[in-house]
Amino acid sequence: MFDIRRAENGTVMLSGRLDASQAEKARGILATITESCAIDFTDLDYISSLGLGVLLEAQKRLNESGQGLTLTNLNDHLADLFRLAGFDILFEIQ
Amino acid sequence: MEKDFERTIEALNEIFPLVDGFLSEHDIGDDDALAIRLAVEELFTNLVRHNSGGRDRISLALEKEEDRLIIRLTDFDVDEFDPSKIAIPKVKRPISERKVGGLGVYLVRKLFDELHYEYENRTLSVTATRDIGRKDVRHPAS
Repeated sequence: MFDIRRAENGTVMLSGRLDASQAEKARGILATITESCAIDFTDLDYISSLGLGVLLEAQKRLNESGQGLTLTNLNDHLADLFRLAGFDILFEIQ
Repeated sequence: MEKDFERTIEALNEIFPLVDGFLSEHDIGDDDALAIRLAVEELFTNLVRHNSGGRDRISLALEKEEDRLIIRLTDFDVDEFDPSKIAIPKVKRPISERKVGGLGVYLVRKLFDELHYEYENRTLSVTATRDIGRKDVRHPAS
């Protein structure tokens, strides 16, 4: 089960597992973002390469207008995966 | 555990519960579990995408032999597809030079000790082997 929603403060909240079958759902929400915002990974258990690609796609688009995504509250396993993918130099990670 | 699955991305919704059951049954910890889930998804979806003309179901087998975990996917009656020819993503480059996609096989190669492809009689087999307890996810090599 995967869910993505925007909190009242604009933060994007992810939960569950972002696998290939859920990537379009994530892409649809991220495509609506036009200004810098945080993405909260507290409740995300898993992400695969397609999910990573959706994040990279959004970051590339936002960076073109001087905006960007900040990734917050990644667990150790996800943080290591992001580092393997080289995302630690593409995103601000808190 | 061995089972065959429909050649669709949505089959992941059937695959993951079975993988989770296998991981639980063999008491496999979180570090290894993340790598195994990821490899199963990346290798399965690669076969779905690259052999989209295939009509047969894709077989997935998981085995634990002592301290080794083996993932084996078999795709029947398909054209040859060599994942080793997929371009390696340049993960140290700035975002302007990064392309979206291409990370799947790269991550599997980083997280598994061996990755083999065999093609014979229109049958493609992919086998990935990982030493259980590897700490590369927690402490990835540079």
